[in-house]
Amino acid sequence: MPTPILNTKLYVPPPRPEVVFRPRLVELLNENLQRRLTLVSAPAGFGKTTLLGEWAAGCGRPVAWLSLDEEDSDPTRFLVYLVAALQTVAANIGEGVSGALQSPQPPPAESLLTALLNEVSSVEEDFVLVLDDYHVIDAGAVDDALTFLIEHLPPNMHLVVATREDPRLPLARLRARGQLAELRAADLRFTPSEAAEFLGGVMGLSLSEKDISALEARTEGWIAGLQLAALSMRSRADTAGFIESFTGSHRFVLDYLVEEVLQHQPERVQSFLMQTSILDRLSGPLCDALTGQEGGSRTLQALERSNLFVVPLDDRRRWYRYHHLFADVLQARMMEKRPDQAPALHRRASEWYEQEGLPEEAIRHALAAGDFGRAAALVERAVPAMRQSRQEITLLGWLRALPDELFHTRPVLSVGYAGALLLGGEIEGAHARLRDAERWLDTAANPARPEPPSAEMVVVDEEEFRRLPASIAVYRAASALARGDVPDTVKYALRALDLMAEDDHLGRGAAAGLLGLAYWASGDLESARRTYAGGMAHLQAAGNVSDAIGCAIALAVIRIAQGRLREAMRTYERGLQLAKEQGDPTMRGTADMHVGMSELYRERNDLDAATQHLLRSKEQGERAGLPQNPYRSRVATARIREAQGDLDGALELLHEAERLYVSDYHPNVRPISALKARMWIRQGRLGEALDWTRERGLSPNDDLSYLREFEHITLARVLITRYESGLTERSIHEALGLLDRLLEAAEEGERTGSVIEVLVLQALAHQARGDISMALAPLERALKLAEPEGYVRTFIDEGAPMARLLSEAAARGIAPDYTGKLLAAFEAEARRNGGELPLPASPASQPPIESLSRRELEVLRLLGTELSGPEIANELVVALSTVRTHTKSIYRKLGVKSRRAAVRRAAELGLI
Amino acid sequence: MKETHTSSGAHHEPGLYEVRIVGHLDSRWADGFEGLSFTHESDGTTSLYGPVVDQAALHGLLRRVRDLGLTLVSVTRVEPDQAEEADSEP
Repeated sequence: MPTPILNTKLYVPPPRPEVVFRPRLVELLNENLQRRLTLVSAPAGFGKTTLLGEWAAGCGRPVAWLSLDEEDSDPTRFLVYLVAALQTVAANIGEGVSGALQSPQPPPAESLLTALLNEVSSVEEDFVLVLDDYHVIDAGAVDDALTFLIEHLPPNMHLVVATREDPRLPLARLRARGQLAELRAADLRFTPSEAAEFLGGVMGLSLSEKDISALEARTEGWIAGLQLAALSMRSRADTAGFIESFTGSHRFVLDYLVEEVLQHQPERVQSFLMQTSILDRLSGPLCDALTGQEGGSRTLQALERSNLFVVPLDDRRRWYRYHHLFADVLQARMMEKRPDQAPALHRRASEWYEQEGLPEEAIRHALAAGDFGRAAALVERAVPAMRQSRQEITLLGWLRALPDELFHTRPVLSVGYAGALLLGGEIEGAHARLRDAERWLDTAANPARPEPPSAEMVVVDEEEFRRLPASIAVYRAASALARGDVPDTVKYALRALDLMAEDDHLGRGAAAGLLGLAYWASGDLESARRTYAGGMAHLQAAGNVSDAIGCAIALAVIRIAQGRLREAMRTYERGLQLAKEQGDPTMRGTADMHVGMSELYRERNDLDAATQHLLRSKEQGERAGLPQNPYRSRVATARIREAQGDLDGALELLHEAERLYVSDYHPNVRPISALKARMWIRQGRLGEALDWTRERGLSPNDDLSYLREFEHITLARVLITRYESGLTERSIHEALGLLDRLLEAAEEGERTGSVIEVLVLQALAHQARGDISMALAPLERALKLAEPEGYVRTFIDEGAPMARLLSEAAARGIAPDYTGKLLAAFEAEARRNGGELPLPASPASQPPIESLSRRELEVLRLLGTELSGPEIANELVVALSTVRTHTKSIYRKLGVKSRRAAVRRAAELGLI
Repeated sequence: MKETHTSSGAHHEPGLYEVRIVGHLDSRWADGFEGLSFTHESDGTTSLYGPVVDQAALHGLLRRVRDLGLTLVSVTRVEPDQAEEADSEP
């Protein structure tokens, strides 16, 4: 279930008849539209929402509106609603972002926002986004997201934030850059003439100038105060007496006036107002459920007509809310007069919302009622949907609000809690919850258990209960994996698969993923491969294509280690195919497929194709990439640069990749630091390579494990190079000894990819000692294994010594076709590198660039023509300033400073 | 009277606070300002006085002041010895 969008949150409050038109403020808002942000910051009751509603109706631009509430402090929920609000302006905006938010591993907020901003910048019209009630947000993550949004705001969007307190945004910086406009209490308060117009013109009261200024002084221009005062006076004859006693009183304006207004309401209305004051949103049927009476809709409409502080939340007059201040006073009155009523009212609201199928509100009211049993039941049923829609923070908030002892008798809820805790890394807490749940399962399985729990077990979601033993096993496997306990991961994941129904595809996919990881980490590649392949099929069957694509990465990487390059390529291709069949060719993970394919093409020495796929990956956009894609794509680019002879550039990219590294639980079998050490070796920087072996604590006598295989092979390379630089004779013996053991381990683990590299190194080690015939034996084996899979770079990356060995092999008739091909590749490379000219910078060797928006691409194409700036603006029917903004953004993204450079770079990248 | 830095663990220790706001606030609001006593002063302000568990609770209290649109005059931490003196006075 995706987050249900409450449309009432997106409703732009229409101008109301009984308000003062405020041209000076409307003008101020209009004048500042070219800045990025307008901050409307003033206490409650200063007419912020009313003013913005009035302005929105006449500002001549489409306005997207989002009324925030406390739950929006959950960043996922905030983004979901942000997108929904933007969609009221441009219907198809952000669909990809919403999709990514629902995916099991959402990308970081910044990349989602970047994708969203790109789409925003392609909206044809200039528009406004209003975030109302921002003060309810209490989350640094949301503040950060908003800051990022403002810093990168496209020129066609203006943001308005209305709040009771200054938000945690870089206001000083925005102010200094002239990007911020502010409306504060001093601007918003009624001026004496506005007060006069309101009281006389709008409310139809005939008051003397003296009376008006007395009221203005007493309320200090506070609009809510003046409005209440006017309402009080309308319903009484003696306005003079009212003004005298009101201005003579020290009582808090709100207390005084609400009392006044309420006293003139019939008892029935007073009681309606108090009972319904506990609601955030009011509808007729909901109010009826609370009051036990009928006619709630009529009462609400009557309240709206008499301006009694209800605000409509839609055009159809179905939903209303009280003005926040009024609701506060009503609630305080109720707590004073009928304190015992509140829980019952909340319970009725909870029941009503439950019947309406709105579990979130039902849970909130159940918690407010202190009816934890009810809340627990509702939460238990809501867990699967909340998890699927990635609202774990909200879910955890509910779970933490429930008393601990409640979980002891509720195994399903307890396991749901464990799942939410595990995601937050709270392993200890999760275990306690799993143990609680298991007690009940043990009892169910073995009724004769000596100490049955004293209380009754409570299960709401029977289906989840039947699945519980399997769910518990999955969570135990996940926590074992997080601890790095491979045997336990395997044990629990196998148990889970054993317990799961054959058609529980999602469950089976998850368990298979964990099991595959465990096998992989322990070096049992064939089991890992089979498990992943099965898991991928289940995820596909469950319709979870994005995760199935994630599986494809693991599968392909394992295939490469097994030396099955062609299979690996097919796996990537199938991943892309799946996305295409799903109708979403830029689905998350597809960018990673292209990066993987690039690496395979590089190995085949088809550097053009490798470069093409890196470009494709970039063009797919950030949304199409998993969180690991930024570092993986840099590693792939580094390897291409290496092949082109640009070792410094390659190292630079590896440094970057190291900084961007994020784990995805896949065993880190090819650490970036080892890749850097290999680059140092090629550069002859032996000292740094040796330092690396010491830092990593590597020694030729180490026990070998698959997880450190890549590092140990790198160590063997360091040792050979050390011998070649004449430093020590011992090194070559150590290298050969280590390589022997590595070969044996790789053969045993059927890691043909590693076997080939180790054989190549053995050959090189023997050759370094001048023993050509000893060198040719392992080389022949390597060639035999590598030929069917089309390996090239594994050989030619080794440079001149390998070229000499291959010629020797060719002379002796070893694998003549293959050695011929490899030697030709050597020659081609030597020709390219041998000339005086430096290598031409190929497009892919540049660092990845931020993708350009559709609009920017249009501008870019016109930059390639003879048209002048104003002519381009004409052509695109936009303002010249808009063209300039796009141009600046294009320059930044392409890393250039002039039009000519931008066009040249764009041509290199194939953008025009 | 420049003796600051006297109470080091102030962040997580309960303290006595006096919060002063403009206007005479009805005692029905006591629910939102748990445990604080309301005194209507002759200058038209209300003084809310009492123990506040920690800084987080204090900020919650100030948020309540904000949400009611009340005008804040001062927030004062009352040192215990001062409080005793005040208490001992009839």
